Amino acid sequence: MNDKAQPNLVLGIDTGGTYTDGVLLEYETRRVLAAYKSLTTKRDFAIGIENVIEGIHIEDPSAIRMVSISTTLATNAIAEGGESSVHGRRVALLLIGYDPDLISKFKMAERFATPNYFFFDGGHDLYGREKRPLDLPGILAKVNQIKDRVEAIAVSAYFSPLNPEHEQRAYRAISGVCDLPVVLGHQLSTKLGSVERATTAALNASLLAVLQDFVIAVRRAMERRQIDAPLMVVRGDGTLMSDEFAARSPVETIHSGPAASAIGGRFLSRLDDNLVLDVGGTTTDIALIEDGQVTVSEEGATVGEYKTSVKAANLLSIALGGDSHITWGPEKEAVIGPERVTPLAYLAHEHPRVGRQLKALSMRTWSQATPDWLEYWFLLRKPQRGQLKSQRERDLVEFLRDGPHPLPEILKHLGVLHVGQVGAGELLRQEVIGKSGLTPTDLMHIEGRYEVWDTQASAYAWQAFCQYQFRDPGELRRQVWTRMSEKIVHAVLVFLSGKSLDLAGRERSLAGQDRDAGRWFFYNSLYDAHPHLETSIRLRLPIIGIGAPAGILLLAVAKALHTDLILPEHYEVANAVGAVAGSVMVEEELLIYPKVSRAGLEVLGYYVTVPSAEPTARHERHEFEELSEALAYARRLGRERALGAALRSGADNPEVTVEELTDGLDTYRIRAKAIGNPRLTR
Amino acid sequence: MELERIDTKRAYDLIRERITTLELEPGAVINEQALAETLDMSLVPVREALKLLAHENLVVVTPRHGLYVSDVNMPDLEQLSELRLSLEGLSARLAAQRATEDDIAVLEALRQEQTSTPAEDSRRLFDVDRKFHQAIAQAAHNKYLAESLERLFGLSQRLWYLALPRLGFLPSAVEKHLDLVEAIKNKDSDRAEQIMRQHVQEFYDQVRHILVAE
Repeated sequence: MNDKAQPNLVLGIDTGGTYTDGVLLEYETRRVLAAYKSLTTKRDFAIGIENVIEGIHIEDPSAIRMVSISTTLATNAIAEGGESSVHGRRVALLLIGYDPDLISKFKMAERFATPNYFFFDGGHDLYGREKRPLDLPGILAKVNQIKDRVEAIAVSAYFSPLNPEHEQRAYRAISGVCDLPVVLGHQLSTKLGSVERATTAALNASLLAVLQDFVIAVRRAMERRQIDAPLMVVRGDGTLMSDEFAARSPVETIHSGPAASAIGGRFLSRLDDNLVLDVGGTTTDIALIEDGQVTVSEEGATVGEYKTSVKAANLLSIALGGDSHITWGPEKEAVIGPERVTPLAYLAHEHPRVGRQLKALSMRTWSQATPDWLEYWFLLRKPQRGQLKSQRERDLVEFLRDGPHPLPEILKHLGVLHVGQVGAGELLRQEVIGKSGLTPTDLMHIEGRYEVWDTQASAYAWQAFCQYQFRDPGELRRQVWTRMSEKIVHAVLVFLSGKSLDLAGRERSLAGQDRDAGRWFFYNSLYDAHPHLETSIRLRLPIIGIGAPAGILLLAVAKALHTDLILPEHYEVANAVGAVAGSVMVEEELLIYPKVSRAGLEVLGYYVTVPSAEPTARHERHEFEELSEALAYARRLGRERALGAALRSGADNPEVTVEELTDGLDTYRIRAKAIGNPRLTR
Repeated sequence: MELERIDTKRAYDLIRERITTLELEPGAVINEQALAETLDMSLVPVREALKLLAHENLVVVTPRHGLYVSDVNMPDLEQLSELRLSLEGLSARLAAQRATEDDIAVLEALRQEQTSTPAEDSRRLFDVDRKFHQAIAQAAHNKYLAESLERLFGLSQRLWYLALPRLGFLPSAVEKHLDLVEAIKNKDSDRAEQIMRQHVQEFYDQVRHILVAE
């Protein structure tokens, strides 16, 4: 047991789009003892995490009682996969009892998250009765054919949450003929939406190996630092799960980063109702805290273009952050984002030559200092053998070997006229080369609000940028901040109201040339332009700001929304605090539905289906004459199972609540939720 | 086997594979630290995995001389073959009595895969053969029997790899499997047991022949 004299230390780590943050926290007192920041390595998140674990100041590693991580690993792998597949592993999706005509008629196949999907006979109906016999020989023949071309198999049967028999039979048979991991739809979701369940199963299958590698790498890093403590992973709703659970259900980590930020904001501010705005390097995320809980979207999280049945925090993410690229738009207006680049201040700090070049640039006449000279490309790491596919890729990497070069020099060296001709997309994506440019972080350096890198370089670059359009540097800087807060206010409005508002044409709208009332209301509230009509948007909740740029950006946002901005102590690392501040939660759902006669006219009794944790176990379906008996049984069993699972997942003294929901059609759902603080003893 | 920690499971799979394919030779000394580094894993799961493997007799732990890969020798072969022969026979007999339609679908699928695998792909054929034996053990619906056979198979596997350079996959095995599936389908338990015993016997005879000749 714990020695009372020794404080419980916990280590929280958040992997964001730009930075991986770590904090060492004294759990009970919420005191932050140490913090550490490292660049996120998208090609392998574990590297950034290892850097944090190695870099953070820890006096006595043996005093650490828990390590918890929020990761954008799953979200990233899905979002970067492109149109028809997930960037995780290749997956085959076996659909049992789905109607191919219906799927193709409503173009639902695009939502399956894998191009390798196949239809088979089988499935159950709305009352859990076998609709058609299962075509097991067909399934096995297909598996034989494709098993060398995929890395995991997902199975989803029609109405499997009511009766998972066909999924389980398929599991047993497939495991008999190949060694691939098999994921079953009913184990991930009790919701009846068959397309979302199939998508969720396919995504989960594609992420299994990715998350396993991740957990193993983090554990290895912990061991090197002699940290012997349980490892937890943050779920998409901000609660914690054990690493073992996460490795089996990687889809549950979708949105875990922003959820952790929201939890961290609440934990540090101790405020139970607020709007959390997390301004990161790449994105700004908005989440709502009500009664101390992150609000959750019941219908399931959407990632990229895929709608899943995974419960996750209700949040809105916009591509705007401290490292958003500032460029000139077609309307001679400074545009911020959506692309994320490395700030010039950082690049010049690492490569002094860049600073000298920027100084020279600022002294050139405007026609010779076009803004493309402010974009630099640089080598992030040595390409692996065989990674460079074309001669042009090889030439580019060779050219960047002696340090960063501005874009026009690169184009000239390669003998091309346009950046599109360079064909560097793949190298940028794999983080072999990186882009650098002007960012809000540079402006923060100029204003002296955040000065860790080369402030002079930022100032020269900004001077050249403004000269090009004959703008006053001070005024244009203020304008950039205004535009950014305008975008954030807009996002808050869209997020809370659930309405869309197209933001085109600010000047036209304010000049009265645009007839759209919504747009006019929005701009008039922000800029107070009308001589007689005053409008305003008032947020009833305080804003909690998180992330380094929050202090600068959100003051204007709070002002525009007529509310307070709260920046809790250590707000710049609240995301990492949130990774350890969540509760351990386990949810168990049991379905109750009527047993009907063959003709479907008469209710003969009620079934309770109990999903099995092990796919090999036969599923349980208990039969009762009376609904009340079935419900009572389900409540009792749900409570027991949730409690047991929460204890196994590392919850301390979990509390169980049982809820009864109805799906209509005489179908019920008992949801037992066990929640407790993480157990900190070893 | 359901192992608690995924990294232990991975270490176990990787090390077991190295031992059964003789990449870690029988009798070789095991250095935990070096092994952990080659596998790019931490020490704890590697240690846990080695304990499990010691339990399966693939690794030997000595108090003074540390760990080494267990040896393979002729007496082992005799003892293994004698036990496997009767357990595999029992497995086939029970399968003929108890196999469900689903079990038979799996056996059929494996048989078809075996037929379509080229004879020179001996590793693959060996893998299918292993799955075939596992499927029969599944069809026997006795989990202790299945577990025991799995362990014995793991030990026998090394004999096969020892003999591999001079052992083709037994061409008669394909026919044997076909006959065996037929017998199980027809619920002919005597015949199923007899075919299985013969099939296993042939395997050991051939391995013995090769190893003795060396």
